[in-house]
Amino acid sequence: MSDLSNFLAFLGLVTTLLMVWRQSRPARVRLLAVQSLLLAAQAVAIAAFTGRYGLLLVAVALVVVKAWWIPRALARMGEGAPPRPLAPGRSAGLRLLGAGALVVGAYALMLPVTASSALPTRGGIPLAFAMALVGLYACVIGRDVMGQILGFLMFENGIFALGLLAAYGLPGLVEAGVFLDVLVVVLVAEGLVMQIRHEHATLDVDLLRELRG
Amino acid sequence: MLLVALLAVPLAGAALLVRASGRAATLVHGVTALATVVLALAVSIAVVREATLQALDGFLRADALSAWMVALVGVVAGLAAVEAPHYAHGAARRFYPFFHLFVFTMLLAVTTDDLGFMWVAIEGTTLASVFLVNFERTRASLEASYKYVLICSVGIAVAFLGTVLVYFADVAHFAGTEHALRWTTLQRLAPALPPRIVEMAFVFLLVGYGTKAGLAPMHTWLPDAHSEAPAPVSAMMSGVLLAIGVYAILRFKPIVDVAAGPVVARRLLLGLGLASMAVAAAFLWNPKNYKRMLAYSSVEHLGLVSVGLGFGGPWGIAGAVLHIANHALAKSVLFLLSGRIRAAYASMEIAAVRGLLARLPVSGPLFFAAMLALLGLPPFGLFVSEVMIIGAGFAAGHVLAPVIALVLLAIAFAGLLHALQRMLHGEAAGRGVEHQGWAAVPMVAALVLLLMTGLAWPPGLAGALASITAVIAAP
Repeated sequence: MSDLSNFLAFLGLVTTLLMVWRQSRPARVRLLAVQSLLLAAQAVAIAAFTGRYGLLLVAVALVVVKAWWIPRALARMGEGAPPRPLAPGRSAGLRLLGAGALVVGAYALMLPVTASSALPTRGGIPLAFAMALVGLYACVIGRDVMGQILGFLMFENGIFALGLLAAYGLPGLVEAGVFLDVLVVVLVAEGLVMQIRHEHATLDVDLLRELRG
Repeated sequence: MLLVALLAVPLAGAALLVRASGRAATLVHGVTALATVVLALAVSIAVVREATLQALDGFLRADALSAWMVALVGVVAGLAAVEAPHYAHGAARRFYPFFHLFVFTMLLAVTTDDLGFMWVAIEGTTLASVFLVNFERTRASLEASYKYVLICSVGIAVAFLGTVLVYFADVAHFAGTEHALRWTTLQRLAPALPPRIVEMAFVFLLVGYGTKAGLAPMHTWLPDAHSEAPAPVSAMMSGVLLAIGVYAILRFKPIVDVAAGPVVARRLLLGLGLASMAVAAAFLWNPKNYKRMLAYSSVEHLGLVSVGLGFGGPWGIAGAVLHIANHALAKSVLFLLSGRIRAAYASMEIAAVRGLLARLPVSGPLFFAAMLALLGLPPFGLFVSEVMIIGAGFAAGHVLAPVIALVLLAIAFAGLLHALQRMLHGEAAGRGVEHQGWAAVPMVAALVLLLMTGLAWPPGLAGALASITAVIAAP
């Protein structure tokens, strides 16, 4: 079981890093869907090995909400906008270097957590934490609305993976609340993005500069 | 039962208001708000009598700290509800349901015993209020609401990371704990939780909930959202929503204090608090826009609250808790009045407001009085809580930190006083008569309460502060 969950966590981190590397928006949205499917697979694997069948419900919710509904909403938001940022951005190399540093940092920070865990999934804990940190980083350096929202969702996925690997998921009620939250955040963001595009005809947040001081 | 009713009323009101319009909407809004205020006060009184209230198998729980927050949410929501019809006019269905949903999420956040669910409720406050921030649908309000929802959602996700770590620390050591994320459970298990993990979790929790509390450097969303929202919403956001961020930190603090020792939390709170006061003082030295001025002043006061918690000790904690209430009363009144000023002068620029005392014969003097309270002048309550906080610093053996806090307070004081003086005097554009003077009665009552916390503490206040300190300070 350790091997499988470690492998899935590793693939999750790879999708995160690919999302930092890629410029194309549709590609990043597809990667987010893949990452959510990997999380669902992780939940199914844990359910199968430990007999915690409640996690199957979580897996279904992951597939429906994060792998299907949210990517569709993101695609709607980006419809018609150019798939890549128009102005050349900072180089992908620098972004990846930052992300790599965070992965190393995540390992160091998670040492006490991994050490005090007795679960067979503990090997993936630093990987999940790295996913979260890199997601937060992607959100902070995001140059347009879509980049920031994608970063936020990556961050959320990372935390979710951490909960899954470190504690086999959180109590059901909290888990349900988290799903509802992500759903509503994306809904709200979609409404706002549509309004921003209507007003400014762009996804670029640099144009949102009215409020200062 | 009382707790369930307290939550059911605003939720039911919000549901009814989705379909109501016109006079019916105003009526349902009024009845819901009134019932919420009455129930909030009833809960507080019941807690004073019985120490704790529980409902739904302990899922809902109110102790002295919860009751304090419930009372604040009730009072500020009541104040805001009186002014709300002026803003909801014509778009009641976009305003009232979210207004009461917002109140519901705030009340849920402070009455649930489950810290995971508290997280859900606090994230809910952002989602319910974001539509209200964007109520006017201008470019500026759109930008403010985007910033608000993104920064607060990311911030709160950081707090979720902290919550996951606390949960891990709990279940990794006590396999099969029932209700593992409940505050009462965590408090019982705290002495045996792994200190390093709890410490790390607290850093995430502090950054996350600190974002909601408007502490620097995570405060960047606050001035935009608070100045763009309609005045009643600004009043609730500045008055109580920020305090709920502090409340969440306070729930974790006793657990961290026991598990990892009190030094970590104190240093972090002191550092963030002073940073917030510095950021606010820099802006308040010369503000241009009076709503942003009030918003930055919230950063300053929440910073001071954090400093008080950092100093610790019975005076520091009681001072901070009292300061939360004093600030809530003064700031909500000021934001509500800022809405009236904006309606009269059609501008949020300080330079555009002249002769306020003559132009608005009711709101002008009230604004003046509430500003004096906010500045921390006696005989108002903020003076007392500020003295308690600074005094706690010296009593705890700090020298530099309370001196820095005093200097920053003085800078903000000078800036705010100058801005106030520019607004009050000068030639008024027109001599105004204010209609509906009765609507100012609740605000006057709030100022009277501030006088009471400043001059003569009502019976029970000292006892309430002592029981809250007992909740927050580690057993």
